[in-house]
Amino acid sequence: MKFSYNQEAVKNLKIENTSILDRLVDYRHARDWRQKKDHSQRDKRMSHREAIAEFVSDGDIWYCGGFGYVRTSIQSDWEVIRQGKKNLQSIGSPNTNQSYGVTFGNMPFTHASYAGAEMRGYDKYFSDNVKKGKVKILSDWSHGLMALGFKAAQLGVPGLYSKSGLGSDLVKYNPYIKVLNNPMVDGNDPCVFVPALFPDVACIHVHAADKFGNARIAGPAVNDIAAAAATRKLIITAEEIVSNTDIRWNNKGVVIPFQNVDAVVELPYGALPGYMPGAYYWARRWWEKCFVMMSEGDAAMEAFIKEWILGTKDIYEVVKKLGGVDFMINNKRLAKAAEADNEDDGVNFKYEPWNPNTPPNVFD
Amino acid sequence: MAESKPMNPLEMVAYVLSRQVNDHEVVYIGTGLPMVAAILAKKTHAPHITFVYESGGQDPIAGGMPWSVGGPETYRKSPMIMEMAYSFGQAACGLVDTGFLGFAQLDMYGNANTTMIGDNFLNPKVRLTGSGGNNDVGSLCEKLVFVGIQSPQKFVQKCDFITTTGHMVDGVSRKDLGILGGGPVAVVSTAGVYDFDPETRRMRIKTLHPGVSADLAQLASGFELLRPKGEIPVTEVPTKEILEILRHEVDPQGFFISMPGA
Repeated sequence: MKFSYNQEAVKNLKIENTSILDRLVDYRHARDWRQKKDHSQRDKRMSHREAIAEFVSDGDIWYCGGFGYVRTSIQSDWEVIRQGKKNLQSIGSPNTNQSYGVTFGNMPFTHASYAGAEMRGYDKYFSDNVKKGKVKILSDWSHGLMALGFKAAQLGVPGLYSKSGLGSDLVKYNPYIKVLNNPMVDGNDPCVFVPALFPDVACIHVHAADKFGNARIAGPAVNDIAAAAATRKLIITAEEIVSNTDIRWNNKGVVIPFQNVDAVVELPYGALPGYMPGAYYWARRWWEKCFVMMSEGDAAMEAFIKEWILGTKDIYEVVKKLGGVDFMINNKRLAKAAEADNEDDGVNFKYEPWNPNTPPNVFD
Repeated sequence: MAESKPMNPLEMVAYVLSRQVNDHEVVYIGTGLPMVAAILAKKTHAPHITFVYESGGQDPIAGGMPWSVGGPETYRKSPMIMEMAYSFGQAACGLVDTGFLGFAQLDMYGNANTTMIGDNFLNPKVRLTGSGGNNDVGSLCEKLVFVGIQSPQKFVQKCDFITTTGHMVDGVSRKDLGILGGGPVAVVSTAGVYDFDPETRRMRIKTLHPGVSADLAQLASGFELLRPKGEIPVTEVPTKEILEILRHEVDPQGFFISMPGA
């Protein structure tokens, strides 16, 4: 298929060869891809390393599930970096965790919607790398428009009309969206047309999954139900692998059906250093340190990534570095209190900001 | 309780913004000061408001200060949690009353920028966060309230990038652009509170914070602020009790109401 992109945006973004944009909206390609898959209920369990090696290819459009720091597949981002995957296009609302993927060229392309740390402002490192051209913005989105793109894919429709984006400069910097008049209205009724969006590969971290890939989550699904249906390849990482019977008997929160799924990975604590609803609190001091390193620039970020991502083998080593058993116990307590799953009386959410004198392995 | 510290400008803004929240409304809450203000409103004059957050959380029971619009405090024992597309869909369908948003730049028509600073998108002075939900909340909610620090760099003649459309862009009205809702009704800044002139759709001084004259507010703006007829009222300041609630119950860790470097 040939695509008719928003030419003003293509020009403004100086995209010389628009073929780099095609796969995200090529619904026939995405359908063919998935039609050819083995749709049987079969055991898809494998190690995290195997799943990333097999299903993430250089140049893929990469969707990292969750929201910012919440149930985000950060450990899959990290495994992608460990394996040295290159030239990925990052997409997600938000795309908060892209920054680690910039330093060594793992994720130099972005379909941007929000990069930053809400309580600490914009992401200086991401900003610097946009300026240097180490991050190339292929399309600029609002959360709502991108969410509709994934939702359209899940619904099996080529696109949707929206009332977001009108009058804004997003429509001048996003080759995928176009202002069209509502075909049902006689007279002026501009809408933004959003095409269905199909990532190449998505990694979604869940609370539990069975070996076939039926997956259960708690807390906000954000765009993950839609993205799980949209993506060509889907890796599910789960806090816990449970039996198919457990999924059937406890089907509240089961939102991803098995046939979407290519790999099922047992990955306890796989949302760290972020938050896992009901399970464990985020590693606040780790993020504080990360923000400091980001603001210090390339050398600091290189060292930080070498220490935390390239210098760790897997999640077990990451948990040890974050503080091990003490960290796990405390952060479970905080999560239960934060969600009112347990009394919050007497639970102390205060923590000391990170500074260079903070002892190692204290990242509550 | 020890003699309280003097109020800082962010605390004043949080309080004044909270006064823009009407009881019984459904409010769409952006990150930062909007969260602080809405939680303060719920703890004071507007106990029956319902919160909606873009990550899908809505109507949480009271808890701590969310550090993210996806944090556990945004869906703490929520009756249900929406997907992102459905959350914004509620606003588009007319089920949300007022959206509360921040900005990095704002122009006289209430168009906002949270995307980039500079004249070259590909090589900006600063790449900011991007829209996130800012555009959607601004495009889909019935009413809109902006909040931010006021300076000539932030109240600008022309936004470097229009992330979120207010009342008018290049002479074309919000209605003719096809956007839903009535657009911005108020802007709360460190200098005062503004509304929009119904004729010109331009920003107009409504009240000024204590110690701020209209001339001073004008000095802190890159565009001409319309002035109302007659004397400009002084913005109401929080009582000691409300300041205590803000500091000790709403944002005790000072995520959003501590002055940088203080």
